[in-house]
Amino acid sequence: MKICILGFGAVGKGVAKVISMKRDEIKDKYGLDIIITAVSDTSGAAVCEEGLDPALLLEIKEKTGKISKYPEYGVPNLSNIEVLNNADYDCLVEVTPTDIEDGEPAKSHILKAFNDKKDVVTSNKGPLAISFADIAQSARKNGVQLRYEASVGGAMPILNFAHDTLPSCNIESILGILNGTTNYILSRMAKEGSSYEQILKESQEMGIAETNPAQDVEGTDAACKVVILANSILKRNVTLKDVEVVGISKITQEAISLAKNEGYLIKLIGEVSSDTLEVSPRLVREGSPFAVDGTLNVATLKTDLADEVTVVGKGAGSIETASAILSDIISIYK
Amino acid sequence: MRLNLVLELLDIPGQLIDALDPIGRLGANIVTVIHQRDVKTERGTVPVQITIEGDKDTLDRVIDALESQNIQIMEVDGVIRKEKIRTILIGNIVDKDVKDTLNKLNEVEGVKVIDFNLKMSDNPEKSASKIIVEAEYGKRKDIMKKIKEIGESKKFLVINEV
Repeated sequence: MKICILGFGAVGKGVAKVISMKRDEIKDKYGLDIIITAVSDTSGAAVCEEGLDPALLLEIKEKTGKISKYPEYGVPNLSNIEVLNNADYDCLVEVTPTDIEDGEPAKSHILKAFNDKKDVVTSNKGPLAISFADIAQSARKNGVQLRYEASVGGAMPILNFAHDTLPSCNIESILGILNGTTNYILSRMAKEGSSYEQILKESQEMGIAETNPAQDVEGTDAACKVVILANSILKRNVTLKDVEVVGISKITQEAISLAKNEGYLIKLIGEVSSDTLEVSPRLVREGSPFAVDGTLNVATLKTDLADEVTVVGKGAGSIETASAILSDIISIYK
Repeated sequence: MRLNLVLELLDIPGQLIDALDPIGRLGANIVTVIHQRDVKTERGTVPVQITIEGDKDTLDRVIDALESQNIQIMEVDGVIRKEKIRTILIGNIVDKDVKDTLNKLNEVEGVKVIDFNLKMSDNPEKSASKIIVEAEYGKRKDIMKKIKEIGESKKFLVINEV
């Protein structure tokens, strides 16, 4: 299978890395040979029908910061749409930066790939949270596959888990911690008694929170995931503006310590059900499945037959997120 | 028939007598009363286990009478009738009339505020209060929604249970 990777940031590099680590194993196990035929970043692209070397791609990116410097096959200033026109590929891996205003340019990349009859695997929340219905419909119309496990919960299996592992069950609601950064901040506030501002600053220094942390701490990132879960698993037709969102920036040490006295923790929880779409700080009992620390994500699916099923996993990280993308690629082949 | 009740009484003189009064008055028999004043709930009330005997109508009337006297019936034959719902509000609750907030909560049907805790901050806006209400079992979701509405109408950040 020939794949084209648009975007070569943390996730894109992770995909190249896991392919270089696992290529032979996947070939032996499943008979699937994954060949990277094109990779793009803001500098341009590297395109080669016979396949690019994942290790060399990573080395060039590391050394020069520009994928267009790839020997022989690097092309400066090639746009992503041009890459899709020029490259020979079966499956697009769309991992460009997320935009939550209009989902672009990722949305256009995905729709173009569908129209060209290519499958798509993405971790990009923007287009799914803004235009889920259009994208899913285009995939159906063109008879191609769309997979996006990595867009919710990173390495924590939830979308494929609900669809493939629990097909006998109706999922009535999903409650979970869907953002690792806020969970890290709240966990440390509860453990150390420091202020929100203090922990946020340290998290930024450690690279766990971004320089502009608004999307995480104001709950937007978790809200995008709520939308994806609602559309994909509960078959609702909703977008980001339908979610009621409250973030964690106003959580105080006073509130955390009152909760603690009662045996509770405060966590940023996303909730999806037939009548609720919400992201808000909530009280969870210490020792309950939601009482996970650090950057972990967790989700409890309430089902009609199996009652509650809970999954936990790493919600972010280059290799962890890439593992979900690689699993999606293998699923498409199977 | 027999009915096992668990009541929760305030630890002040006369409470047990008041609770037992309608049972005899309405014609039910008291089979057992287990009352240990030393064993208290976390908020200082005394749980009392009572078994009463009588026909169904009489027992129903007893329960109605107890409830109209504001006596808390926690369990009937092992079935929990009340549950606690915890909420934390962040904001300057002192400035926004604590009593009015609690009254509004008490006005919600089937809800009674049973605990209130305040933690003041140097910056009053960062103060937090913990409110525990007792509510009829099974109405949790509706009541949490109402608590949220009341809190948000006063511009508090409302942190409900999951």
